[in-house]
Amino acid sequence: MTDSMVGSESARLSPATSGFVLAATITVLLNTAISFVEDAYAPLKVVMGSLCGHDWTTQGFIDLALFVGLGLIFRSTAVAESMDPGRLIAGLLAAVIVAGMGLALWFAFV
Amino acid sequence: MLISPSDVLLLAHATFGALGCLAAVWVFVEALNARPGNAVRIRRAALGVAAFIAAAGICGGYWYLHFYPAEKPLILHGPWPLAHNFFMETKEHLFFVTALLALLLPIAAGEKLETNPAARRLVLSVAGLIAITGLALEGAGAVIDHGVKLALLQSASKGIR
Repeated sequence: MTDSMVGSESARLSPATSGFVLAATITVLLNTAISFVEDAYAPLKVVMGSLCGHDWTTQGFIDLALFVGLGLIFRSTAVAESMDPGRLIAGLLAAVIVAGMGLALWFAFV
Repeated sequence: MLISPSDVLLLAHATFGALGCLAAVWVFVEALNARPGNAVRIRRAALGVAAFIAAAGICGGYWYLHFYPAEKPLILHGPWPLAHNFFMETKEHLFFVTALLALLLPIAAGEKLETNPAARRLVLSVAGLIAITGLALEGAGAVIDHGVKLALLQSASKGIR
């Protein structure tokens, strides 16, 4: 086995890791979207509040369920495993930057 | 000296958050020098990050749900209403991002970082993001606390006059 073969084999992420990276990326973006909609549309906040006693708690459970559920699905279907690891990491970084900047700008100006 | 459950929860929240940030920086530095000898240490530190951030979330969440409703109107009627309108509103939603990253870190740290450059980049990215967003949350917490302090000082000074 050549060095380049070793390098290419080891540059992949496992199905579990790649699946949960993709799940985290999607959940971060959905968490941001839920935050915007909930803040702009009061009835949704009321509904979310009635589900777990407080809208913040409900949002936390939704995020946790999405992360774990999507992660397990992506792990078993190997959807994320076929993606380039560099793109997965870049996607996660972009999602966190969009979430951080988006939330800050939303609550600063809206 | 009177230390209420609210004080204990709030200080524990900030302390666990700071420990989570420190552990994330620890993982970052260890991952920069990933080798077989520190693989177990990286995984344990990554688990520590998840545990500290989870503990910060539980303490802070309980405090936010049970004690913050009494402080919120104080802030809104004080000189720094942005302590709630901007800092608390952003913090309470951004926390979930940090928490998700903290849950992801032990999974990513389970890879063989010493032979897998992609996994090493992932761990460096996630640990770095946890440290940055975690410190931003710590800073926001300090501003919220200052908003309450200024509001109380203002109402106290009015009472003295």
